[in-house]
Amino acid sequence: MSGSKCARLSAALAKQVLDSVDSAVPGAPQVINLLKENGKKVFFVTNNSTKTRKMYVDKLSVLGFNAKEDEVFGTAYCSAMYLKTVCKLEGKVYLIGSNAMREEMEAVGLQQTGVGPDHVLGKQTDWANVPLDPEVKAVVVGFDEHFSYMKLNRAMQYLTQPGCLFVGTNRDTRLPLEGGKAVPGTGCLLQAVETAAQRQAQTVGKPNHFMFDCVASQFGVDPDRCLMVGDRLDTDIMLGSNCGLKTLLTLTGVSTVADAEAHQKSGCAERQGMVPDYYVESIAELLPALQG
Amino acid sequence: MAGAFKGCQKIRGPQIRNLLDAKDFILLDCDGVIWHGEKAITGAAKVVNSLIRHGKNVVFVTNNCTRPRENYVHKFCRLGFTDVILEQIFSSSYCSALYLRDVVKIRGQVFVMGCDGLRRELDEAGIPCVEEADDPDATIYDCALAPDVKAVLVGHDDKMTFLKLAKASCYLRDPDCLFLATDNDPWHPLSSGRILPGSGSLIAALEVSSGRKATVIGKPSRFMFECISSQFSGVDPAQCLMIGDRLETDMLFGSNCGLDTMLTLTGVSQIEKAQEYRNSELTTNHSLVPDYVVDTIADFLPAFEELGEPSN
Repeated sequence: MSGSKCARLSAALAKQVLDSVDSAVPGAPQVINLLKENGKKVFFVTNNSTKTRKMYVDKLSVLGFNAKEDEVFGTAYCSAMYLKTVCKLEGKVYLIGSNAMREEMEAVGLQQTGVGPDHVLGKQTDWANVPLDPEVKAVVVGFDEHFSYMKLNRAMQYLTQPGCLFVGTNRDTRLPLEGGKAVPGTGCLLQAVETAAQRQAQTVGKPNHFMFDCVASQFGVDPDRCLMVGDRLDTDIMLGSNCGLKTLLTLTGVSTVADAEAHQKSGCAERQGMVPDYYVESIAELLPALQG
Repeated sequence: MAGAFKGCQKIRGPQIRNLLDAKDFILLDCDGVIWHGEKAITGAAKVVNSLIRHGKNVVFVTNNCTRPRENYVHKFCRLGFTDVILEQIFSSSYCSALYLRDVVKIRGQVFVMGCDGLRRELDEAGIPCVEEADDPDATIYDCALAPDVKAVLVGHDDKMTFLKLAKASCYLRDPDCLFLATDNDPWHPLSSGRILPGSGSLIAALEVSSGRKATVIGKPSRFMFECISSQFSGVDPAQCLMIGDRLETDMLFGSNCGLDTMLTLTGVSQIEKAQEYRNSELTTNHSLVPDYVVDTIADFLPAFEELGEPSN
């Protein structure tokens, strides 16, 4: 691979990106902890909406990472911040999402309705007349294993009301599982609601710049001095490009070098944002540079 | 067949009579055209019965996949369309069953996301379906997947759950497993003027998770016309008139099959939208423009009054 993009990395600052595996990538905790010891600020930026910041810190600790709550930026927290600080929402949220999203919203003073199972009742003519809470002024869609036709219907009914906001946490298409299974991602649920309501949601998560804005506004971060580290070209690397950060692709997750090269050779300007500056096989490759 | 692009021609009495003289086959959508929910549109039953008595071939072409055809016959009767028989009814669920049986000649099971009405049509056609027997506590992490699933068929499913979406996504990872949709309507209107999420919203979710595009059986795809044609031993498109209320399904369907099209304004689409499509710079939008427009199917009645009742 030629040019300054997609070069093999020799040394850099790093931010680690969480994924949903329950074991740390070997060497990752040491990398993060050494970065901090070397005076680098490290932030965890994830599209996963199923954990609060506190839950992430707990998970990170168990896996051997030193992390503090205010260093973690998940979409549950960032969606709540977006509604509060950007939308300045007054009113309730109809929430298709997790308890974590509910908690993060309540923590900023936003009330929600809708979390949890919503069982099917009644004949067809009852569907469109489901009782709607008049205080709901926004529909928010995150990852929800209780997603159902009834929830899709409620969300759509709210969205047909004028002035109702529409926010999604992210567009990730699926979460791979072992044994040939796959779990539909938030992107699927969001697309279902968008299609029924014939409206597009505003998404908060990567690659939208809001999550970086959240970090930057709280910590006075200079984009020129930042490195975004991630495993997905269409979310992590794209976010980095959108915000003027240097980008590092790690190959322990979703995207491959071949994927990156395909974007690079495409000749399409939009796709160049998905070409990382550097790549490594694993975050652990940074260890020698940090230890030396 | 419409010649130079004109479209949206409002027609009445004598013009309708002339049009009917030229057409042997009348294809009618149901919801929004001849009834709203459980209420027939005023004059619709008389029009349909008159068309049949005047020797026209009348068929009903509906994307509604929620009930089997036998139930439709009862509904027609209930609402006053007394001359309608089973063989005149073409629903997307019936045609999906035909597609699986006669086109795909499916060997193996079908994973169905849809209503009982859809399952009954599949059963009647002898299509094996994966049994829905989910343990209430089952999750995608611990549930068993059926072997030998050769197609995923998605329709209106008011019992859709995350688990079903997950299972469908798993089956669709096999490139030899077909991805079929009864229809792609994003929402359906109810008689109250409210709307419901349609099959299209579920299809959209699965297209995102699978990265694949569904094959749509219902309008605007041509397949339902092919079903009609094979059942009537060949139908000349030039002899057909498609009457519907939804530009994106009915008019496009007619256009795709080379039929003349008529929009009735008692349903989903407004005349302004038709005009917008007509004035669009995108020539593909022109296929959504009806050749003719009527306010209601009842506008056909004066055409029959002039003809008088046929002698027996």
